[in-house]
Amino acid sequence: MKRTVFLICLLLAPLAATAAGGNGQLDEVKIDLRDKQALQRGARLFVNFCLSCHSAGYMRYDRMGKDLGIPEAVLKDNFLFSAHRPGDLMKATMPHDDAKLWFGTAPPDLSLVARSRGPEWFYTYMRSFYQDEVSPSGWNNRVFPHVAMPHVLYEWQGTQQAIFHKDEHGQQHFERFELTKAGSMSPEEYDAAMHDLTNFMVYLGEPAKLHRYNIGVFVLIFMAIFTLLMYALKKEYWTDVK
Amino acid sequence: MAHDKNVDKAKRRFLTHVTTSVGAVGTGVAVVPFVSSMQPSARAKAAGAPVEVDISRLEPGRLLKVEWRGKPVWILRRTEEMLATLEADEPGLADPNSSESDQPAYATGRTRSIRPGILVLVGVCTHLGCSPLDKFDTGGTVGQVHDWPGGFFCPCHGSTFDLSGRVYKNVPAPRNLPVPPHSFKDDNTILVGIDHADETGKA
Amino acid sequence: MEKFMQWIDERYPLTETYNEHLAKYYAPKNFNWMYYFGSLALLMLVVQIVTGIFLTMHYKPDARLAFESVEYIMRDVPWGWLMRYLHAVGASFFFIVVYLHMLRGMLYGSHRSPRELLWLVGMVIFLCLMAEAFMGYLLPWGNMSYWGAQVIISLFGAIPYVGDGLTEWIRGDFVVADATLNRFFALHVIALPLVLAGLVFVHLIALHKVGSNNPDGIEIKKNKGPDGIPVDGIPFHPYYTVKDLVGVSVFLMIYFAVVFFMPEFFGWFLEHDNFTPANLLQTPTEIKPLWYFTPFYSILRATTNTLLPYLAGVALVTMVLAVMAVKNLIGRALIVGATVVFIAGLFTLEAKFWGVVLMGLSIVLLALLPWLDRSPVKSIRYRGWMYKTAITVFCINFLLLGWLGTQGVDETKTLLAQVGTIIYLLFFVLMPVYTSLDKTRPVPERLTK
Repeated sequence: MKRTVFLICLLLAPLAATAAGGNGQLDEVKIDLRDKQALQRGARLFVNFCLSCHSAGYMRYDRMGKDLGIPEAVLKDNFLFSAHRPGDLMKATMPHDDAKLWFGTAPPDLSLVARSRGPEWFYTYMRSFYQDEVSPSGWNNRVFPHVAMPHVLYEWQGTQQAIFHKDEHGQQHFERFELTKAGSMSPEEYDAAMHDLTNFMVYLGEPAKLHRYNIGVFVLIFMAIFTLLMYALKKEYWTDVK
Repeated sequence: MAHDKNVDKAKRRFLTHVTTSVGAVGTGVAVVPFVSSMQPSARAKAAGAPVEVDISRLEPGRLLKVEWRGKPVWILRRTEEMLATLEADEPGLADPNSSESDQPAYATGRTRSIRPGILVLVGVCTHLGCSPLDKFDTGGTVGQVHDWPGGFFCPCHGSTFDLSGRVYKNVPAPRNLPVPPHSFKDDNTILVGIDHADETGKA
Repeated sequence: MEKFMQWIDERYPLTETYNEHLAKYYAPKNFNWMYYFGSLALLMLVVQIVTGIFLTMHYKPDARLAFESVEYIMRDVPWGWLMRYLHAVGASFFFIVVYLHMLRGMLYGSHRSPRELLWLVGMVIFLCLMAEAFMGYLLPWGNMSYWGAQVIISLFGAIPYVGDGLTEWIRGDFVVADATLNRFFALHVIALPLVLAGLVFVHLIALHKVGSNNPDGIEIKKNKGPDGIPVDGIPFHPYYTVKDLVGVSVFLMIYFAVVFFMPEFFGWFLEHDNFTPANLLQTPTEIKPLWYFTPFYSILRATTNTLLPYLAGVALVTMVLAVMAVKNLIGRALIVGATVVFIAGLFTLEAKFWGVVLMGLSIVLLALLPWLDRSPVKSIRYRGWMYKTAITVFCINFLLLGWLGTQGVDETKTLLAQVGTIIYLLFFVLMPVYTSLDKTRPVPERLTK
């Protein structure tokens, strides 16, 4: 038995190591998919701002409406583009080729961005745009250097500058942001809005996440009962074996 | 291996039954996701959403075919002459009152339509699912009907239908052609798939 | 009912089969928890086939549609996400179970006479399973799928003369492309599952011919009662069916916990980079195979020019040992000749080629275990400290290589992987020596508890 425990520990050690070894530069964000209000706020943000250029091409409006508890009439009036029907996929309104022409690269589909990059990355990214004269759009981003996308929400966040310091090897290190012009939101309000958006992006990456935890609890309870019964049955039969 | 003579047979049987039953319930529940994964997906359902059809340019006596839920739907603008044939057809029809067939309550009777001039049908033969052909030229023999008054003819097994989609007697097709749920958004626009123009979604 | 069974039995050996493989198949009564993994492997094969069938109903093996169709399964197909997670997580669990099943064999000497063929069939199953997993991993057509396949297929390019032609033939294109996806799909859903099912059948028949080994490594068939039944045997059914079902339900509990609560398992079972569609212009920053391939992948990466002289050393040791073991002159001459050719090859062909050879060899060596192990006893319970040390070092080393395979390379890690590779080889090469020198304890007549 000791050997078993030892082997299991060995097996788990590297797992723990990778789990802990996240990117230290990213800001923490707490995801709560049970908060339907926050998800709805995030959805509104996404549809109003992101969806004009970026698609969420694997997601359907009516699924989102049903999952987030948005009534159909509200969904139609506030979330749908006129040409779309509730059952449609959430495709960007901007034609793909035009976008490529304007930005030099087509805005990527965002359905899965929270899964491929992680919520922390997304949350940090949305708050890390800073002014940079060298970049063609006038904007740069700390976690996505030379990103083609300009800061869409600068009217909310305001404009900020990145402060770097040089270490003894002459390498630039990011220190902090400095607000050069306040936006219509306070930094706390802006962070809260991006928190909502990130929360929604996590949902958008995997809508089944809303249900699978609940189902999983029942499955595990059932399996526990069955295991107990099975164990009792095994013990009963094995009384024969001397 | 030794069989203990003092084995509590009843306890063992009870445990076996309980465990088997619980296991069977679990297996039964586990089958549900697998079976329901074969149901129409969200994509199929979205494709089944109502279809808007512009009939402003549909000439009298002509047929327009549109796709709804992957099925052909016919829209026929019937002329006065066409409507006049309907009553005369009835002795030869299997179910002239459409009591056996599938149509919304607002599309019953002889014309099987909301507006007598506009007939909307699902163009799938009630026999084995072929799509019948339109035979609007009158006269001659079509299938077993002499002096053809105009209607539809299924090329697969020779079923014949009148200009309201009602099936003739003594043909393989058992029922009249179904009328899909539909409504008029305005004079020139039909919504196939929903009953009332002011309400969207489910048919 | 009785009449019906009689009717069947006259036409098909149903009762006979049932008796031979279940009711009157006598298994040693002292199986411990390591013995669950055989039946669990069978369970996972069934789970993978069933979920695979339902996924195939919705998946599109087309480079333009594949990624989208997986997301379609995840979102639009009712319960599609469950099918997908059961299958994807199932692959990892299948390998966990199979690795533990193999370790069980190595601990208790299940590969030893008379079970050598059983072990060999098992090794072929393991190879097929690796091919099956590798091809299945391309199907989601994520960026990791794409580049993973690109790298692994390019391995064959290291083979002298035919390499380039061979890789093009495998891909059916000059890069991994639609043609590759389509053929991998065919092999993944039809060809390999058929072969696997057939091999598993042969594996079971071979097992039931020789009978199960046990943690004591004692042949229970050598000690039969007057009724011809092994004294230490119990009928598989009902005793081991109920016991294995306990194992199955505990296992399913763990499996379902992962499927429902952490299907990505920190990026170990479903990789984050694979949620981006295949992009032939951009390789993911960290490209690595899934965890179950990484020990072998590490060996591949560790084989650089620096390692080659050490490999020559291992070859020389092997030669000396083989020459000592073989008594006739021609045999000895052949061994020396082969070693000279091998060492000459090491210094003429490029290291990339030897990496591929070594990776293949690391699996072939496992298949040779029945003949490398010279110990008079089978089970670790009666072996001395040498084998116990060797197998502990081997396991730790295997896990270390596995972990290194998931990491990026730097100087220390490459060195570690190279040391690991040599240890891996020496475990096998030196096995005839330490297993025959090792002091063993006497094996009892009857099974112990």
